[in-house]
Amino acid sequence: MLSKSSAKLFFLVGTGLCVGTFLLLTIDTIRRVPEQTNQQNLSESAIRGKHLWETNNCMGCHTILGEGAYYAPELTKVYERRGPKFIAAMLKDPYAMYPGQRKMVRYDFSDSDIQDLTAFMKWIGEMDLNGFPPKPNIGQIATIEGVGAGTGVAQTIDRPIAFNQMCIVCHKLRGQGGDVGPALDGVGSRLDRDYIVRWLHDPQAVKPGTLMPKLPLSEEEIVELSAFLSQLKEDAK
Amino acid sequence: MKYKSQAVAYYFFAVCMLLLALQIVYGFIMGFAHLGFDGLHEWIPFNAARAVHTNLLVMWMLSGFMGAAYYIIPEECERELVSTKLALLQLGAFVAVGVTAVIGFHFNWWEGRKFLEIPRPLDYLVVVDVLLFIYLIGRTVWQAKRHTTTSIVLFFGLLCAALLYIPGMIDTSSQTMDSYWRWWVVHLWVEGVWELIMGAILSYLLIKLTGVDREIIEKWLYVIVGFTFLSGILGTGHHYYFIGTPKYWLWIGGAFSALEPLAFLGMAIYAIAMAKRGGRSHPNKTALSWTIGCSILSFVGAGFLGFAHTLPQVNLWTHGTLVTAMHGHMAFWGAYAMIILAIITYSVPAMTGRKLHDSGMNIFAFWTSNIGMICMTLAFAVAGISQVYLERKMGMDFLSVQKEIEVHFLGLILAASLFTLGIGAFIWNFIRYGLPHAEAQGSDSYKN
Ligand code: HEC
Ligand code: HEC
Ligand code: HEM
Ligand code: HEM
Ligand SMILES: [Fe+2]
Repeated sequence: MLSKSSAKLFFLVGTGLCVGTFLLLTIDTIRRVPEQTNQQNLSESAIRGKHLWETNNCMGCHTILGEGAYYAPELTKVYERRGPKFIAAMLKDPYAMYPGQRKMVRYDFSDSDIQDLTAFMKWIGEMDLNGFPPKPNIGQIATIEGVGAGTGVAQTIDRPIAFNQMCIVCHKLRGQGGDVGPALDGVGSRLDRDYIVRWLHDPQAVKPGTLMPKLPLSEEEIVELSAFLSQLKEDAK
Repeated sequence: MKYKSQAVAYYFFAVCMLLLALQIVYGFIMGFAHLGFDGLHEWIPFNAARAVHTNLLVMWMLSGFMGAAYYIIPEECERELVSTKLALLQLGAFVAVGVTAVIGFHFNWWEGRKFLEIPRPLDYLVVVDVLLFIYLIGRTVWQAKRHTTTSIVLFFGLLCAALLYIPGMIDTSSQTMDSYWRWWVVHLWVEGVWELIMGAILSYLLIKLTGVDREIIEKWLYVIVGFTFLSGILGTGHHYYFIGTPKYWLWIGGAFSALEPLAFLGMAIYAIAMAKRGGRSHPNKTALSWTIGCSILSFVGAGFLGFAHTLPQVNLWTHGTLVTAMHGHMAFWGAYAMIILAIITYSVPAMTGRKLHDSGMNIFAFWTSNIGMICMTLAFAVAGISQVYLERKMGMDFLSVQKEIEVHFLGLILAASLFTLGIGAFIWNFIRYGLPHAEAQGSDSYKN
């Protein structure tokens, strides 16, 4: 049978070997991390953003790199997902961007704070994370049966980037997106293009008290979006 | 209780009870927020509730470990503690720092790094306080007539826990390295040195409760803590899969962390085997229930549920979802909450001289809290797995998924109410014991 002294030896030798290996791997990791995380792009602004991220404990609601709390969206890829304009609007007034939803803290950020936080998220989003977050791989709701598949009404304009970044926060199109506003399938049959243009310029002016906020859109984006929306006809659903 | 100074442990355990009760209050605040009732948002936003919930958890566990050490070390070393006054001072300072931190969290004063939210100036005070604790225990061990394996493992575990707090303070501008060092504290605590502390307390309780020969129990203690370090140290790699660290961690972390359940399995087999083998029937049956229960549920929560998401192929999907919360609750409960409640159940009757350990209330507390926690874990599990499928696998929007799984938080609240009923009974029974009593001191009050 195993004696107490050999049990002790097992403990000491095993621990020693593992500690040694772990320290060596740590040294190697420290050497490689700068390249894998594009440290050369870590600007002063992004570092200030990290500081704001920490002093406000954003991780107490959100996850980043998959670490944090499970109350609010994963933000690793938020820069790519929502774009800088939406992030800025969100940090200015979270209640307007997600009316009636789960609440984020309304902070008093200055414009430069917001730039710093956005730079931080951009840097995070560009790291090589060994495949995280993974792309969805079952029941792809949105991609396969596209607009017009089988109906003869081909989709002539692709979804504008602004649509994918901002509008689907609140609107569904082909089953994908948020629930704040009405689904936009077939909106081109309901509304004419002029109305949509006016609407996108300032929803409050068209319909005072509406929950849709005035979004930071450029003229070109409005042209693009209204062209896209007005070709979403009822039969093309 | 053989030594007068052991009674100082009582005050550490009383702090445990208080902080546990508060922790549960903040748990409910978060549970309700997930359900859509966030009326407290203006005063206690979710991130504040969470920081308080988890920091109180860590604080009461540290307080419990310190109390356990002050109780066990004199008996193992066969001498009084070097100073009970300093021990009480050390507790007072610990509580003062903790209360300051928790109040600060409500005013946006924190570091915003999960589990290590305590602001930097207070970190230094924690270090000083823990050094005083280590000094008191270390000096008692040093001057002792005998050095048992149990006392050495306990001391070594506590010392390493104190040292490992330091990497968490390394300053870096890279989020990846920040996270890298954070795990040296969080992971190497719960899947490393805390297991030593747990193993030592377990071995002390088994020696007392089962009457099995110390040599046999302590031999297996070495084997188990050997497995802990063999798997747990390189197992840290299971947190280095997706944070911007090299790819080799997927292999190393996956392989070694997959072995971690062995240490917990070892603990369960060990406790059950010793209880079967022991001829002694100790009067404190409930303490034995907590001890055996701890060894089993720690295997379920840490071993089984940890293994369930530790392989990189699985973790890719579950990383940072409610699946982690499911595992976190059961693991902390089974391993560390239960071992502390076991040593409290064992030691408080001896300190106060009142034999309320097998009261109906205490037995009710054991079953109700455990069944409650198992149901809470199930509620988190269903919510977590649904989240993984809808959000990660199918690409549904985060908030829409949260709407879908809201109902499971109703389940969570119900289960948590059951759990809270059990904890309420435990605390009530604790209060009924009253304060440590002079008559109980200086004798082995269990008379065996
Ligand atoms: C009290 C919890 C809470 C805190 C603290 C918090 N957030 Fe949020 N955040 C949310 C929630 C919930 C959402 C989802 C939208 C909503 O319901 O308002 C969100 C959404 C966001 C979004 C948009 C994400 C998307 O996919 O559309 C960004 C960007 C964001 N938060 C950044 C931050 C930053 C930066 C901080 C720290 C300064 C922070 N949040 C702190 C709760 C929080
Ligand atoms: C913060 C949430 C939100 C965002 C972001 C948002 N919307 Fe809206 N939208 C709404 C709400 C709410 C309504 C319903 C307004 C009402 O009827 O009062 C609406 C209505 C509309 C309508 C009229 C739909 C109908 O059937 O009557 C159009 C068109 C529209 N939005 C387009 C857009 C576009 C394009 C974008 C992206 C640039 C966008 N929305 C972004 C919330 C939002
Ligand atoms: C008693 C011991 C344990 C406790 C108290 C515990 C607790 C926790 C907690 C609280 C977290 C979340 C940490 C954070 O995100 O900051 C976590 C994560 C994790 N644990 Fe454990 N754990 C224990 C043992 C184990 C074991 C033995 C395994 C593996 C076999 C394991 C596997 C994991 C994994 C893979 C994660 C990461 C989850 C993710 O990617 O989000 N744990 N654990
Ligand atoms: C009884 C009532 C309790 C309720 C309602 C509750 C609820 C919660 C909730 C909602 C979260 C946050 C999850 C998120 O980020 O969205 C959480 C986190 C946590 N709770 Fe509790 N909890 C309770 C008791 C406990 C107990 C007794 C323990 C320890 C034994 C515990 C340990 C933890 C841990 C470790 C975390 C962090 C988990 C992680 O980051 O993965 N909780 N709890
Ligand atoms: Fe871990």
